[in-house]
Amino acid sequence: MSAETSTPTSTALLEVEDLEVHFPIRSGVIFERTIGAVRAVDGVSLSIGAGQTYGLVGESGCGKTTLGRAVLRLEEPTGGSVHLGDTDVTALRSENLRRFRSRMQMVFQDPLGSLNPRHNVEMLLAEPLRVHRINDRAEQRRLAEETLDAVGLPTSVLERYPHEFSGGQRQRLGIARALMLRPDLIVCDEPVSALDVSIQAQVMNLLDELQGEFGLTYMVIAHDLAVVRHLSDRVGVMYLGKIVEEADSEEIYENPRHPYTKALLSAVPQPDPEVEASRERIILKGDLPSPANPPSGCRFRTRCPWAQDICAEETPVWREVAEGHKVACHFDRFD
Amino acid sequence: MALLEVEDLRVAFGGSTAVDGVDFQVDEGQVVGLVGESGCGKSVTSLAIMGLLPRQSKVTARKRHRGGVTVSGRARFEGKDLLTLPRNEMRKRRGQELAMVFQDPLSSLNPVVRIGVQITEVLERHRGLRGEAARKEAAHLLDRVGIPDPTRRLTEYPHQLSGGMRQRVLIAIAVACAPRLLIADEPTTALDVTIQAQILELLKDLVDSEGTALLMITHDLGVVAGLCDEVNVLYSGRVVESAPARDLFARPTHPYTVGLLKSIPRLDLPIHEPLHPIRGSIVDVIRWKDGCAFAPRCDSVTEKCVEGEPALVGTEHAHRCVMAEEIA
Ligand SMILES: Nc1ncnc2c1ncn2[C@@H]1O[C@H](COP(=O)(O)OP(=O)(O)OP(=O)(O)O)[C@@H](O)[C@H]1O
Ligand SMILES: Nc1ncnc2c1ncn2[C@@H]1O[C@H](COP(=O)(O)OP(=O)(O)OP(=O)(O)O)[C@@H](O)[C@H]1O
Ligand code: SF4
Ligand SMILES: [Mg+2]
Ligand SMILES: [Mg+2]
Repeated sequence: MSAETSTPTSTALLEVEDLEVHFPIRSGVIFERTIGAVRAVDGVSLSIGAGQTYGLVGESGCGKTTLGRAVLRLEEPTGGSVHLGDTDVTALRSENLRRFRSRMQMVFQDPLGSLNPRHNVEMLLAEPLRVHRINDRAEQRRLAEETLDAVGLPTSVLERYPHEFSGGQRQRLGIARALMLRPDLIVCDEPVSALDVSIQAQVMNLLDELQGEFGLTYMVIAHDLAVVRHLSDRVGVMYLGKIVEEADSEEIYENPRHPYTKALLSAVPQPDPEVEASRERIILKGDLPSPANPPSGCRFRTRCPWAQDICAEETPVWREVAEGHKVACHFDRFD
Repeated sequence: MALLEVEDLRVAFGGSTAVDGVDFQVDEGQVVGLVGESGCGKSVTSLAIMGLLPRQSKVTARKRHRGGVTVSGRARFEGKDLLTLPRNEMRKRRGQELAMVFQDPLSSLNPVVRIGVQITEVLERHRGLRGEAARKEAAHLLDRVGIPDPTRRLTEYPHQLSGGMRQRVLIAIAVACAPRLLIADEPTTALDVTIQAQILELLKDLVDSEGTALLMITHDLGVVAGLCDEVNVLYSGRVVESAPARDLFARPTHPYTVGLLKSIPRLDLPIHEPLHPIRGSIVDVIRWKDGCAFAPRCDSVTEKCVEGEPALVGTEHAHRCVMAEEIA
C-alpha cells in the first residue's frame, strides 16, 4: 500500500472523515475476550481551513482528547480517515509517519506533566529537533532562541528547569516546544484550564499572536465555552463521541439549535449579576450515559428536555439548517 | 449582629504566611462570596473558621505555636470566637450549626462505607436518630438533594456514584442538621457545567427555603455573580475589595478586581472583544508590609503604593488601594 494518497478536492488543511476510536473492553483472567467497546469517538467528520481555529467543546468524557490524539495518530483510529493537506495520515506507516509528525503537534493541559523535570529548557526544546534529525547545535540554539522570543520568554531561561517556572510560563514552554518544528497544525488540549484566571488571558492572546506569525492552524479542545468562543472561527459541540452541532463561532453562540448546545450555553454563569438574574437556564437532568452503551436513536435523548418517541427510535440525521450550520436533532422548534 | 464575623484572621505554616489579616462577615441567611485565584488563602481561611487546620489544638487569640500552624485573629459565630472554643465544643457545632462541603467529593467520603451509613452516622451523632427513623430521614435527605431512587442509593458505595451525585450526597450530609452556616469550598470546580448548574440551583434552593447562610468559596466570578449577595475579593492572603455583588460588578474599584474582570472571556459580550490580561504572575510569597502586594502587577502603581501597608477603606463598598480615588 502506498503511504501517501491524495484527497480529491479540498481547500481544507485538515479533513477528518467518519473517524472512530473504539477502545475494547476486555474481560476474563486467563482467556481474555472482548466483551464490548468504549465508543470514545464514534463517527466524527470535520474540516479545518488553513490558518483557521476549530474549537471542540463538550463535557468530560465525551471524547475530545481521544479525537485530538487520533487526528495526530497518537491514538490508532479504528475507522475513518484523517487527511492533512494531500496526505492521508491514517495510511502512513512507520518512517513516513515519524517524519510526517513534525507537521502536527500537540499542546497539553498540564504543562508540568508534559515536560521532563530533569531536562532544562534548552534540552526540552532541542528534543523534538533531534527526533527529526536536526542535530546541528548552533541551529538548535538559534531555533530555540527564536521560539522563546515568540512565546514571550527571555533566552536566559534556557538553563532553567520546568519546576522553576510559574504555571503560565510553563504553558508558554509547552507551546514553544510544539512550535519548534514549525508545524502546520497544533492541537491544543485544554491549553488554559490549569491556569489561573488572570494568566489564562495571557496564554489566549499568545495563541492568537502566534497563529498570525507562524500561519498556524489550530484545533482547540476545551470544556470552557467562553474560551472556545474567544479563540475559534468554527465550533463543534461534542456529546458521547459524536458532534451534535457545528457552525461558525458567532453563529453557534448567537443561534444555538441543538438542545444540548442550548443547555450548555445556558449553564455558563456570567460575571454580571444583572445578566445572571435574568438568564434563562435549562437545567439538564441526570448524568452523561456510558459511552460503552450509548442510548438508541439520539444519544442526548435521556437528558433532553424536548425528547419525543422518535428520538429513541431514529438516529437524527446530520443536516444543514442554515448556511454552514449543521445539527443532528429531529426538531427545529422547542417551545 | 452578624452571624459570622471574621476579624484580622491570620494563618501561618511554619514561617510562611498563608492568610494575612482577613476581615469579612456573613449575616443570617446571606450568601457571601470569597473569590480569588489559586493560593490566595481561600481554603485556609475556611479551614481556620471550621477548626480543621492540621494539628491546630489550642489556638488562642494570643497567638500560639502548635505543630507549625499559627492562627490569630477572631472568628465570632453568634458572638462566640470559634478560634478559642474548646475542641469538643467546636466538634459539636461542626456538623450541627456549621457545616462544610469540599471541592473533591470523593476524598471527603469514606470509600469503603455505604452512603446510607455515612449519612445515618451524622443523624445519630447530631440528631439522635437511630434505626428505621434514621434510614427514613437519610432517604428523605437524598431525595431532597435530587438523587433519584434514594433507597437504593443508600446501599451503594461512593465509587458507584457519579461526581455530581457524590457532591449531592455531601450536601445532603452537610444540611442534615439544618446548619445556620454552610461553607462551600469550590463545590462545583471539579464538575461539568451542566452538573455545576444543577448543584448551584440546589444550593440556591436550600438557602432560600431553609434560610441557611452560605459562604461560597470560588475562583469563578460567574458563580459569584449568580449566587452571592456580598463579595470579598482576596489577593495574596488579604481582602482587597468587599462590596454588595451588584456594586462590585458595576463599579469594581481595586485594580486587581478590575483586571480580573477584563481578563475573562465572556459569552455576553461581542465575540472579538480583546482580552486584557493582568501582567506577571502570582507570587507565592505574601508581602503586604512593604506596600501593596499587587503593586508588581498593577498598571496604576505609583510610589504611594509602596510607602506602607494600604488599609481597607470604606464600609459598604470597601477597597484596599491607595490610588482608588484617583483612578476612579
Ligand atoms: N485508553 C483508553 N482506554 C479505554 N477507554 C478510554 C481510553 N482513553 C479514553 N477512554 C474513554 O473514552 C472516553 C472519552 O475520553 P476522552 O479522554 O477523550 O474525553 P474528554 O472529552 O477529553 O474528557 P475530559 O474533558 O475529561 O478530558 C471516556 O469514556 C474515557 O474513559
Ligand atoms: N497545610 C499547609 N502547609 C503549608 N502551607 C499551606 C498548607 N495549606 C495551604 N498552604 C499554603 O497557604 C496558601 C493559601 O492556600 P489555600 O489553600 O488557602 O489557597 P486557595 O485560595 O484555597 O487556593 P486554590 O484556589 O488553589 O484552592 C498557599 O500558598 C498554600 O501553599
Ligand atoms: S433529537 Fe430529540 S432527544 Fe435529541 S436533542 Fe433533538 S429533541 Fe432532544
Ligand atoms: Mg480531555
Ligand atoms: Mg482552595
